[in-house]
Amino acid sequence: MRITKWLPLGLALAVIAPGFVAPSFIAIASAYASEIRVGYTQDALTLDPANPGNRDTETIIRNMYDGLLTRDAAMRVVPELADSWRRVDPVTYEFHLRDGVRFHDGALLTAEDVKFTMERVLGGKIGGQTNPRKDLLGPLARVDIVDPHTVRFVLSKPWPLLPAMLPFQEIVSEAFVKRVGDDGMVSQEDGTGPFRLKEWSRGDRIVMERVPDYYGGSPAVPPVGPARVDRVIYKIMPDNASRVAALLAGDIDIINGLPVTSIAQVRDNPGTAVMAVNGTRTFFLSINNAKPPFTDVRVRRALNHAVDRKLIVARLLNGLATPLNGVLSPDAFGFDAALSEYAYDPVQAKSLLAEAGASNLHLTIDVDGASKDVAEAIASMLTRSGITAQVRVWETAVIVPIWRDATKRQEHDLFFTSWGNASLDPSDIMMPAVHGGGRGNSAGYANPEVDKLLDQAETETDQAKRQAIYLRVQQIVHDDAPWVFLWLPQDVYGVSKRLHGFQPSADGKIYLSRVSVD
Amino acid sequence: MLCCDAGLSYGGCGPPSPPPHPRMTTRLLQRVLHLIPVLLGTALVVFAMTSATPGDPVQIMLGDQRATPEQIAALRHDMGLDLPLAERFISFVWRALQGDFGRSFFHRRPVLDVIADRLPATIELTLAAAVLALAIGIPLGLLAGVRRGRAADRAASISALVGVSMPGFWLGLLLMLLFSVTLHWFPVSGRTGYGDEPVPITHLLLIDSLLAGRPAALAEALRHLALPAITLALPMAAVLMRVTRAAVIDVLRADYVLFAESKGLSRRRVLLLHVLKNALAPAVSVAALEIGALLGGNMIVETIFAWPGVGRLVVEAIFARNYPLVQAAVLLYAVVFVLLNSLADVLYGVLNPRIAA
Repeated sequence: MRITKWLPLGLALAVIAPGFVAPSFIAIASAYASEIRVGYTQDALTLDPANPGNRDTETIIRNMYDGLLTRDAAMRVVPELADSWRRVDPVTYEFHLRDGVRFHDGALLTAEDVKFTMERVLGGKIGGQTNPRKDLLGPLARVDIVDPHTVRFVLSKPWPLLPAMLPFQEIVSEAFVKRVGDDGMVSQEDGTGPFRLKEWSRGDRIVMERVPDYYGGSPAVPPVGPARVDRVIYKIMPDNASRVAALLAGDIDIINGLPVTSIAQVRDNPGTAVMAVNGTRTFFLSINNAKPPFTDVRVRRALNHAVDRKLIVARLLNGLATPLNGVLSPDAFGFDAALSEYAYDPVQAKSLLAEAGASNLHLTIDVDGASKDVAEAIASMLTRSGITAQVRVWETAVIVPIWRDATKRQEHDLFFTSWGNASLDPSDIMMPAVHGGGRGNSAGYANPEVDKLLDQAETETDQAKRQAIYLRVQQIVHDDAPWVFLWLPQDVYGVSKRLHGFQPSADGKIYLSRVSVD
Repeated sequence: MLCCDAGLSYGGCGPPSPPPHPRMTTRLLQRVLHLIPVLLGTALVVFAMTSATPGDPVQIMLGDQRATPEQIAALRHDMGLDLPLAERFISFVWRALQGDFGRSFFHRRPVLDVIADRLPATIELTLAAAVLALAIGIPLGLLAGVRRGRAADRAASISALVGVSMPGFWLGLLLMLLFSVTLHWFPVSGRTGYGDEPVPITHLLLIDSLLAGRPAALAEALRHLALPAITLALPMAAVLMRVTRAAVIDVLRADYVLFAESKGLSRRRVLLLHVLKNALAPAVSVAALEIGALLGGNMIVETIFAWPGVGRLVVEAIFARNYPLVQAAVLLYAVVFVLLNSLADVLYGVLNPRIAA
């Protein structure tokens, strides 16, 4: 029978067809709930604020958890859950907590929660794993409760960096952690932030909902109050082209990591705009200071004169970076704007090389795949100064450990690399990347005077004196030229014009509570 | 009278087929038993490779963070990286036998849980791509083989060549630009829209939507699935088409086909009863291998369409030197391949009982 032959198909269509009509109703229904969709490069690794995290994980977590302190648009450290703080003595900081702040489960924030949060990190192990975030708290020894709204952070030695490092620590609820355990903290949240977790579909998206009774956030970062939108969705989209396509198609409102090649497309599209902000990551060519002829400062200075950083920034980076004459970002505390520039000057570079007896220099630049083009441009520039340079591309996970080991890097020449300074305090980049023996001192730079000054600055609580020390250090490092100083890239975002109030942040965080939509 | 009755059998020609030979069950059992040495060998190879590959998960985890040498040493100890390789291997095998494959360095969760979160997305995409590829590749291969040298054959063969040659990332982006960005027919990425998920039962959205009786959710899942499934299916369909075409041409030359035709069976009957069944056998083997590969996840397609499958997860784990996750995933791939090949063997035997005999 013909009718029975077509019956299954008819039934299938009857089931499916309404579905194709239904999405438009769904779209209408969901339009009532205001929503911001972020196309984000990486998923969170965990939702536990005390976990070893990375910048992407912290960006997501920061929408649900607030810290004692945060940063304003100018990257100044300002109170958040604390309403004030003061340094009692060189090793004691006192924080007074805002009144009436509640966790998402309704419990009131107390001094016990702050103490518990810090001691959880200081304990060194979470969920049976060593927690490297302990080092983000430096010499913090303990937290004392003065009264239910006041805590004192007691250090084992003076550490002026503490306020700059506290925005990295979000406050958790002691009762909640004890209830769900360390394993529960990986996928559940109970913060004090403007959004609460609604759904985490791993690898796909994180959905957060507005907390209506949010205390409002830091008064130093207006407008204060609950989030302006009902929902925020972080959609995990690792591919650059797909993120751009989703933004252009209107599926997504904000994308991070807008590639240079797509800037014009996003800028010219009527519904989208490009937004950029200085990042916090210093890029440089690490010179193997222990390998001749790079042991000679004239050779290192010659290399600095042989690279036209301004041209690369203008042409290859689309102007979206700031050329640097030293280690620090212009936004960092103690930045020395008066440092002289190693002007691009192949003649001077040749002359310095000749003086050092290093004419006809052959060298190899190590680089990871993502920065190959830039490294090749540098190699080509070096030839104008009589230097023969070749580029060797590596996987990041392979080349970084080589350059961080004095023995393994013995035979290597130059390394195109970078170091982040999210706290924008000089200590955060100088100690690991410039101080002798530092974890990120891939150049193997060692100047006893610099080390002594940096050690001194670590415990100097007078900010004016600290600044003077860092100005001196910047000058010495500039003159010693352990690196070829390059640039500080901007973080570039593609943003839908239906958003209002979004401001990219230098620390890479995407704060959405103050953003509204058309 | 059928050709088989005339003693002119070429393989498993037309029905009625004999029931699967008892030896087939033994063969299947043997293949499953083969899993043990395969898994041990795979574990050993993965261990050797992860230890030989330079790179340090501790440095990756710490990034640019402040860390004392003591903290670094403690992390290395937690990860078991301070133990000799042999000890790590024995410990891994011992724990794996008890179902414990360790914890992901970065997710602070058991690796099996991390993989299990992503597996349904990969299975769903694989099944959709496989169904699509079989639905396109086999009829086209049959058509091209039957009409060898004619316009239909040439068109199908050129399409197959394009399908095989086209890189997945390019095809995916083209489809996305056309159907998502320009025409707005399909979403750019993901498995379904927020609020459209059915209650998870199998974690396969199509099936869960049907079970929940939610056609709107089914349609939304299909809209999301369409582009990545097509991107994966077209190259696979091209391979299946070529294999089927070659097999059809081969079978058409067989004596029993000539005999069936000469005794007056209709062309359609000859094709369906004699040609298709025999020509399918090689396609089954190829399909099994392709599906096995797809179940490992396709990093490129998963990345382009932000499909939350295992392919992307495992590649990220390799770059991050997340050894426990890589080891568990590779072992999983080995199991899938062995099982799928065993299944292909059984199907091969059904289609061609001579193999089973």
